[in-house]
Amino acid sequence: MAKFNINGKEYEIEIDGKDRLIDLLRDKLHLTGTKEGCGEGECGACTVLIDGEIADSCLVLAFQCIDKNIVTIEGIGNDEELDPSQQAFIENGAVQCGFCIPGMVLSSKAIIDKYEYPTEEQIKIGISGNLCRCTGYNKMIESVKRAAEIKRERSVKNG
Amino acid sequence: MSSKYYKAYKLDEALMKLKENPENSNLIAGGTDIVIEIKNKKIKPDFIIDISDLKELKDISIEEDNIELGSMVTFTQLENEDFPKNLKALSEAAHSVGSPQIRNKGTIGGNICNGSPAADLVPPLLALNSIVTLESTRGKREIALEDVFLDKGKTVLEIDEILTKIRFKNLKENEFLSFSKLGLRNALAISRICTSVYVKVQDKKIENIRIANGALGRYGIREKNIEDKLIGMPLNKKTIEYGKEEINKEIKERLKGRSSMEFKSEAIKGTLHKSLFNALNYFLDRKVGVING
Repeated sequence: MAKFNINGKEYEIEIDGKDRLIDLLRDKLHLTGTKEGCGEGECGACTVLIDGEIADSCLVLAFQCIDKNIVTIEGIGNDEELDPSQQAFIENGAVQCGFCIPGMVLSSKAIIDKYEYPTEEQIKIGISGNLCRCTGYNKMIESVKRAAEIKRERSVKNG
Repeated sequence: MSSKYYKAYKLDEALMKLKENPENSNLIAGGTDIVIEIKNKKIKPDFIIDISDLKELKDISIEEDNIELGSMVTFTQLENEDFPKNLKALSEAAHSVGSPQIRNKGTIGGNICNGSPAADLVPPLLALNSIVTLESTRGKREIALEDVFLDKGKTVLEIDEILTKIRFKNLKENEFLSFSKLGLRNALAISRICTSVYVKVQDKKIENIRIANGALGRYGIREKNIEDKLIGMPLNKKTIEYGKEEINKEIKERLKGRSSMEFKSEAIKGTLHKSLFNALNYFLDRKVGVING
């Protein structure tokens, strides 16, 4: 049995050495918020946070993540309050078909966790591994800026 | 068929496991290449050993004489390292790879050991004349990076060996490394061509030069014929033009009969131009050993 920490919850589960992280998430734990697009690291739809850094869950084997903290789209925000990135993407209408959004939102979160005031360049690099075929990216870039703002506002409010 | 796995935290453990299960076991580092091959059933390992979290292989050590990179240093680490100006090309090469997701996971050791012709870190490390350390339970040996590659995807590593360190001489003020890459788009581009050049100038002349290209052969290679022609010449625009013509001829000859010959023999002039020009500008700024560009 292998132990995993996913979205703050401990799981103990039998895995095969060849299982990818995305297989564990979707097929074994039914955390289907994480999407599989290309399956080879080109599209970023399967992006998750591993110890706070974005990674493609289709390019990591599950057992490599033993003892690491994994955060998926299910692990951010809650019924009372959305994560700043989720909130900003909704406010700006930066979501169209939605397939890329779980990955895109986690990349946005990684950007604003790293930079309090992200520049446009930092945002563009930060989401360069996430493809979106609908929006043309402008609203997404605006949303990441807005997400940083929401995060700052909340931290002032919460002292 | 099921596969067993082992996640190693210490080099000794990993080497022992590798020795116990030499047949059909696979090492995995960042996984950004091998996971795709496992998924496509190109590789069917019985036993997979993860070495990406070997702490002793995750450091970058910069000393006055030597720089040593642990093989499990990621592209992101390399990208963020504050190298001196004449070595910034190493960060540029790391930044040019894949996407942030891939750079967070991919490692220098993986980039070398996969033996991809388009591995982006190989040309700069070749230009720096790097030495790599290979370790097994039998002991360790050092070998020039240049001698690591046997063919596309094939290296000299024995079945029980792990590439642990990459070492090269730190650069002096009159030495410079540059990197230039042509891809099809900014993020996630696999190199169509990449070129890295090390130049040392002394007494207004190119005292030493090492040129290495990626994606122009079965693996990253040095262009020794061109190097020999440029040594002893002044570093200026005329010499750069001469170098471009010479490398154009060389690549035309090498890729004869291939559909990519026309494009690559022309494109190489661009990447070499950019690399040599960056070097020229660096030396002009520093006013070391260059006459009037």
